[in-house]
Amino acid sequence: MGWHWESTVYAIIAFGILYWLLSKYAFGPLFAIMEKRRELILEQMNTAESSRKAAEQQMEEQKAALQQARKEAYDIIEQARTTSSKQADEIVQSAKSEATRLKDDALKDIESEKNKAIAALRTEVGGISVKIASKIMEKQVDEKSQEQLVDQYLKEVGSK
Amino acid sequence: MHEFPIWQLGPLDIEIASFIAITISALVTFLVARLAVANLSVDNPSKMQNFLEWVVDFVHNLISSAMPLKRVKPFLSLGMTLIMFIFISNLLGLPFGIVTVPHHEMLWLGITEEMVKEHVEIAWWKSPTADISVTAGLALIVFVIVHYLGLKLNNKHYLKHYFHPYPIFFPVNIIETISKPVTLALRLFANIYAGEVLIATILMLKWVGIPFLIAWQGFSIFVGGIQAFLFTMLTMVYISQAAIHDEDDHH
Repeated sequence: MGWHWESTVYAIIAFGILYWLLSKYAFGPLFAIMEKRRELILEQMNTAESSRKAAEQQMEEQKAALQQARKEAYDIIEQARTTSSKQADEIVQSAKSEATRLKDDALKDIESEKNKAIAALRTEVGGISVKIASKIMEKQVDEKSQEQLVDQYLKEVGSK
Repeated sequence: MHEFPIWQLGPLDIEIASFIAITISALVTFLVARLAVANLSVDNPSKMQNFLEWVVDFVHNLISSAMPLKRVKPFLSLGMTLIMFIFISNLLGLPFGIVTVPHHEMLWLGITEEMVKEHVEIAWWKSPTADISVTAGLALIVFVIVHYLGLKLNNKHYLKHYFHPYPIFFPVNIIETISKPVTLALRLFANIYAGEVLIATILMLKWVGIPFLIAWQGFSIFVGGIQAFLFTMLTMVYISQAAIHDEDDHH
C-alpha cells in the first residue's frame, strides 16, 4: 500500500470512460424515457382537464336546453288553456245565437202561415158569398123556383 | 498484512489489484446500468428499469438539495455515475479476497526473495476505493470539474470568493479550496480501507470471527452506501458553491 500515481491516472481515465459510456448508452436513453413519460402524463392530465371542461360545458348546455324545453312546454299548455276556453266561449256564443235565430225564424213562419191561412180563408169566404149571391140572384124572379132553389141548397148543405 | 503486487512496466508502477478492481468496478457499473435500460419502456418499465429510475430520482433529489432545481439536469449524469461507481467499488472488496503465497521471486511484480522466505501473502483483490491513489483520482476529477465550472459559469463571483470577506483571507480561502478535495479523497479512502482492514483482522480469528464478520460486512455495506452518498452530495455542494451564484438561490 502506498501512493501510485499510475492508479490515480487509471482511475481518472476509467471514470471518464465510464461516465461517457453511461451517459451515452444508459442514462441518456433512460432520461429520455423518463422525460417522455413525464410529457405523457402531462398530456393525459391536460386531456382529462379539457374533457372535464367539455363535459361541464355540455352539462350546462343540456341544463339550459332542459330549462328551455320546460318553458316551452309551459307556454304551450298555457296557450292551449286560453285557446280552449276561448273556443268554448265561442261555441256557447254561436250556439246561443243559432238558437235565437231558429226561434225567430219559427215565429216568423208561424206568423206568415197564419196570415196566409187568414187570406186564403177570406178569399174562400168571399167566393162562396159571391156564388151564393149570384145563385140567389138567378133564382129571384120566380118565387117558386127560388124556394125550390133554397130548399135544394139547404138540402145540399144539409147532405154535406 | 497483505502485500499488493506491483507490476514494473517500464517507468510505470502498476498496482495490479487496483487496476483489476477499477476495471471490474467500471464494468459492473456499466453492466448494471446497461441491463437496467435493456428494455426501456414508457408505460411498462421492468423491475431493473424501475430500480434505476428510483436511483435517478434519488440522485435528482440529492442534487436539487444542493442547488436550484432548474440547474440540476446537467449534473444528473455525473451524480449517477459517481454514486453508482463508488457504491459498487465500496462493495467490491467485501465479499471475498484473492490471496496467494508466492513460492519463488517475481521481481517484475515486486516480489523479492525475502518476501518469499517470509511467506508474505499477496492480495490480488480489494475495493478500488480502499486505495488512496484511486480516491485521489476521483477527488481530482471533482476538483477539476468544480473549478472549471466555477471559472466558466460564474467567473466574477468565483474569483471574488477567494478574497472574501477581505483580501487578507486569501490564504485561508486557498487552504479551504485545497482541503475540500483532500478531505473528499481521504474520507472515502479511510472509511473503506478501515472496513477492509477490519475484515482482514476478523479473518485472523478463523471460525470464531464468523458472527463478527457477518455483522461487520453488513455494516460495511451501510458504510459503503453512506460514503457513496456523501461523496456525491459533497461534489454537488462544491459545484453549487463554485458555479452557481447565490442570487440564483433566491428563485
